Amino acid sequence: MKGKFSVALSLVLLVALIINTAYGVGAEKKLKVAFIYVGPIGDYGWSHAHEMARQSLIKKLPWVEFLPPAESVPEADAVRFIDRFVREEKADVIFTTSFGYMDATIEAGKKYPDKIFFHCSGYTRSKNVGTYFAELYQIYYLNGLMAGALTKTNKVGYVGAHPIPEVVRHINAFALGVQEVNPKATVDVRWLFSWYDPSKARMAAESLISDGCDVLAFTEDSPTVVTVGEEYTKKGKPVYTFGHYSPMQKYGPNSCVSGQLVHWEVIYRDILEKIRRKVYTNTNLENVDYWWLLKERAVELGGDFGVPINPKFIPALKEKKVTNSVFGKISVYDLVMKRLSQMKANPEKFDPFTGPIKDQTGKVRIEAGRRATHDELWNMDWFVPNVIAKIPR
Amino acid sequence: MSFILEILKATIPAGTPLLLGALGEIYTERSGILNLGVEGMMIMGAVSAFGITAITGNVWLGVLVSAIVGGGMALIHAFNSITLKANQTLSGLSLTMLGLGLSGLIGKRYVGVPLLNKLHSLPIYGLKDIPLIGPILFDQDPLVYISYLLTFVFWFFLFNTRFGIELRSVGESPDVADSAGIDVSKIQYLAVFIGGIMAGLGGAYLSVVYAPAWIEGMTAGMGWIVLAITIFSLWRPERAILGSYLFGGIRVLQYKLQPFGISPNLLNMLPFIFTILVLMLASKEISRKRISAPSSLGIPYFREKL
Repeated sequence: MKGKFSVALSLVLLVALIINTAYGVGAEKKLKVAFIYVGPIGDYGWSHAHEMARQSLIKKLPWVEFLPPAESVPEADAVRFIDRFVREEKADVIFTTSFGYMDATIEAGKKYPDKIFFHCSGYTRSKNVGTYFAELYQIYYLNGLMAGALTKTNKVGYVGAHPIPEVVRHINAFALGVQEVNPKATVDVRWLFSWYDPSKARMAAESLISDGCDVLAFTEDSPTVVTVGEEYTKKGKPVYTFGHYSPMQKYGPNSCVSGQLVHWEVIYRDILEKIRRKVYTNTNLENVDYWWLLKERAVELGGDFGVPINPKFIPALKEKKVTNSVFGKISVYDLVMKRLSQMKANPEKFDPFTGPIKDQTGKVRIEAGRRATHDELWNMDWFVPNVIAKIPR
Repeated sequence: MSFILEILKATIPAGTPLLLGALGEIYTERSGILNLGVEGMMIMGAVSAFGITAITGNVWLGVLVSAIVGGGMALIHAFNSITLKANQTLSGLSLTMLGLGLSGLIGKRYVGVPLLNKLHSLPIYGLKDIPLIGPILFDQDPLVYISYLLTFVFWFFLFNTRFGIELRSVGESPDVADSAGIDVSKIQYLAVFIGGIMAGLGGAYLSVVYAPAWIEGMTAGMGWIVLAITIFSLWRPERAILGSYLFGGIRVLQYKLQPFGISPNLLNMLPFIFTILVLMLASKEISRKRISAPSSLGIPYFREKL
């Protein structure tokens, strides 16, 4: 009796196994994708933008299973989260979205050679670790053109998070734009030494305003600068601002002129589709580095999606005329739009970082006619002459 | 000139959360109870004010709830130190840790949420045109005016009313007060509760007026500066105003001094260097004027000893 029972049991198990395997072959196995964020999803800045991208792809890519993301992961603690995603949740692809995860991601690549990793904003790659970044300097330049046209005090302010190459590059691009339409204007900078601290951002913005700045741009993860600009504008002391990363025009309908927006989903989609088509595998990512800009539609000009310039400011920008070596006498509005379409369609024709560009000491950093290389942009540690602040060392 | 004016104008809101917290802690310590939980009560006030404002869209409701939450937190400490006669230092410290952790948990969903309703500055007609002090003092938001008013009220009650005398005598010598027929624990409960309400308001000011945003740990040591100001002010509400605005000014100066090439790390240290200096000066003044902290500060009162 007992023998018969075990034979029957084994048969049932065998049949179950066969059916199971057959189904496994028939349906496409979903790609399991995990995200690790450095900040809280609600920071309305960096991590928020990555999460928005992830969410927008959930419906668009039905063949991907998006695992619940890990947020507020300390940079030193990334290993533990990667281990969990690989071992317990069986992730196939892991995106680590902060510069500080670089070493941990490379190590994880060695530890799990059959998995695929993509690290955001780093420069080290290996055969199963690629890198990607959506770069905003072209848009900061366009914002700079508008800032130069709108300032009445000829003092433009900038609130910077940390004095790192990314922020320095953005400030320079912005200052080059200001310089082009208003050679008399200067750009002053205050540093927060924090990516997200609204009360510091407020003090920095107010400090710039009290020094006479009437147009402000920033690189930090909160809409504080726009909020402060709106408050002053409403009080009758106009301070114009540019949003950063997320649509911030709603925080300052009377102050926010334009801004920079990011579309990480464009990059994520491309990566995931190429993984699906086996273009990217766990052995060929050594040279896969996304550095996507306007042309790839990874970034957008505006304080809100689909609104490149707040309509309130269009008349003033159309009124202000400048003389340009290529376009002749042209309004700043048209100049912004022409440059925008140039950089979107064929960036070969125009790049803000084209020489001659000097630094604050007068030393030529980019010779006449030459363009800054990827490495020069990536490691930028000097300011252009119309920036009056210093980089703290 | 306008440079200094702008600094002074920005100083008032930067010092207001400190002032609110210090007024409350002065009352608490005057009753002989040391509450080191200011940081925790402040941050709970900050998160509750922000949450309620974000949900209901009513800033004043948020401010009200923050006062209740701050007061409620303080009652934990009151129960520990007055009813149970537990160690006040430990109870206060644990209140701070509790507040920091709990607020992070509650506030998770409010990180990065913008406040569309907030308190706008409300210049007082007439007063704001007084040369010099007008634009500095009377072109601020309503909570700042309330803090001026509260400073006066706290001073008045402490030194000019029966309640003030009872409060001070409880802090100096609870057994004498007790034998004079004062309900010691009632007075102490009330004082600690008021301390919590004020710390909660200070937190609310940070999250719904000053930032306005919720960030985990956004009080960033302000509760400890409040304790320093309490000592600096020699437990007198009218001196708390001076201390609070001094600290507020230092915070504002950090950004004004940045362009002069001073190391940012040094500037970040300023408030804390200043805290040490202030404590040194205050203790010197305390010994010179022969003033001292309320005599029974931090000592549980046991009636049985009578």
